[in-house]
Amino acid sequence: MTVQAMIDEWYPVGLFSQLDQQVRTTVLMGETIGVACDEKGNVSVTAANGRALPVRVRYGHVWSSLGEPTKELFSIPEADQPGRRFVDVGAVRVRCSPLRAVENFLDIAHFPFVHTDILGAEPHTEVQNYKVEIREDVDEVWATQVKFYQPQAAKSASGGITTDYMYRVPAPTCSVLYKTCPPRPDEWDVITLFVQPLAENLCDVWPWMALFDDTTSLTDLIHFQQMIFLQDRSILENQIPSLLPLDPGMEIPTRADLTSVAYRRWLKRHNYTYGAQLVAQ
Amino acid sequence: MHSDTTGLWTPVAFSKDLPAGTAMPAYISSGCIALWRSGSGRVAASADRCPHRGMRLSHGFVRGEALCCIYHGWSYGQAGNCLRIPAHPGLVPPAAIRVAAYPVRECQGIIWVATGKPNGEPPQLEGLVPLRSLTANAGIGAIEAATTVRARPDGVVKFSHDLGPVFILLSAQEDGKTLMHVLLEAAADTALRLAASRAVEGLRRRAEELQAEGITR
Repeated sequence: MTVQAMIDEWYPVGLFSQLDQQVRTTVLMGETIGVACDEKGNVSVTAANGRALPVRVRYGHVWSSLGEPTKELFSIPEADQPGRRFVDVGAVRVRCSPLRAVENFLDIAHFPFVHTDILGAEPHTEVQNYKVEIREDVDEVWATQVKFYQPQAAKSASGGITTDYMYRVPAPTCSVLYKTCPPRPDEWDVITLFVQPLAENLCDVWPWMALFDDTTSLTDLIHFQQMIFLQDRSILENQIPSLLPLDPGMEIPTRADLTSVAYRRWLKRHNYTYGAQLVAQ
Repeated sequence: MHSDTTGLWTPVAFSKDLPAGTAMPAYISSGCIALWRSGSGRVAASADRCPHRGMRLSHGFVRGEALCCIYHGWSYGQAGNCLRIPAHPGLVPPAAIRVAAYPVRECQGIIWVATGKPNGEPPQLEGLVPLRSLTANAGIGAIEAATTVRARPDGVVKFSHDLGPVFILLSAQEDGKTLMHVLLEAAADTALRLAASRAVEGLRRRAEELQAEGITR
């Protein structure tokens, strides 16, 4: 329950496209901050005491930190790839731990029950073995060779397909998902989850997408993602305890949960415990 | 203490408010529980938390004789044993995966749940029939003050309406709230049922006002 190790990380604090010269007030890890953009397009993020905070503008969002980031914001190479559509989905506020929000994003076994007939459907509930690792060179959690049957994997999909996934956790409250791209079999659609921790049990979830999809309207793309995340919210606001338990014993993982097991282990190793519960209570 | 006036048994709901094949949240002194009725009509109560990822089981769904967690579909029998993990259809769940189950009785249209090992049977409320349940944002003391009647040893507050007697079975909830189960004599006619329903709503408002003013007996 310490802020210390996570304070030097980058967090999303808003959509760049929604900024203007009016200062927008938001909260990062319990501290009120202001986000603004001057007429030349320079973005500033300011703490309540007037202190200027670090700023990056990337992947449609403004990023900042209450501390002093030692690492550059993680890279998403697909964000620079020609031909992709970049979709700012907006925020979904969830009364849950930011870490629980990320863990839910890494989970496929809930698709048939929470996103019924969209991302999953009974009787196709089995989770096949997949590979999980903590990549030491980049210090990221990766899950690969993940497969799941989906009735409607994306707005651009018609009918059921077995979808391939890769998951990546490059920062404690961010995850990048690569999934089968129905119109471009050689490419991956990129869907991200950027989570802004407002408090240990409150967050704004900012999904963002980089897709190959020239046909679906922007409105439909945003509605699709918002529907998915609102379904997740009904789960995330009703988990006990609300903080993510990092010690074993409080919850029971299975083989299907190996990504979450690695994520928790990685959080614990780095002392990323803002939004976590360390001792079973 | 009023919470002990019914022994270890807590009146959690009326039978008619829990149809076959449904689940609902309820509260006993040890905490939140998931109350559910199987397809064949058997009532069961378990801890309100799936041990897999902590999701509330009262949000779950009932299929046949099992309660299933809404998050990943893990299903549990009446005794709390895990029956199935859909992510691994070929796996027989280890016996260690289970949720605490609580004793349940259903009598005269009331569902009772025991917190621990039951001490005898729930009180018999002979001759009374359920009308409706409602929750007051007030403690039992404020409800007693609003009726100017004290709860009987069996947890019932009886007050007199012009058209006949009204009985309220009280059950303390989380956050200082009280669940009020309203009962009438079996012979109560429609006029009394309507009048009692309105009278109890008025009583709830008075009790909430008294609670807000800090006035309890």
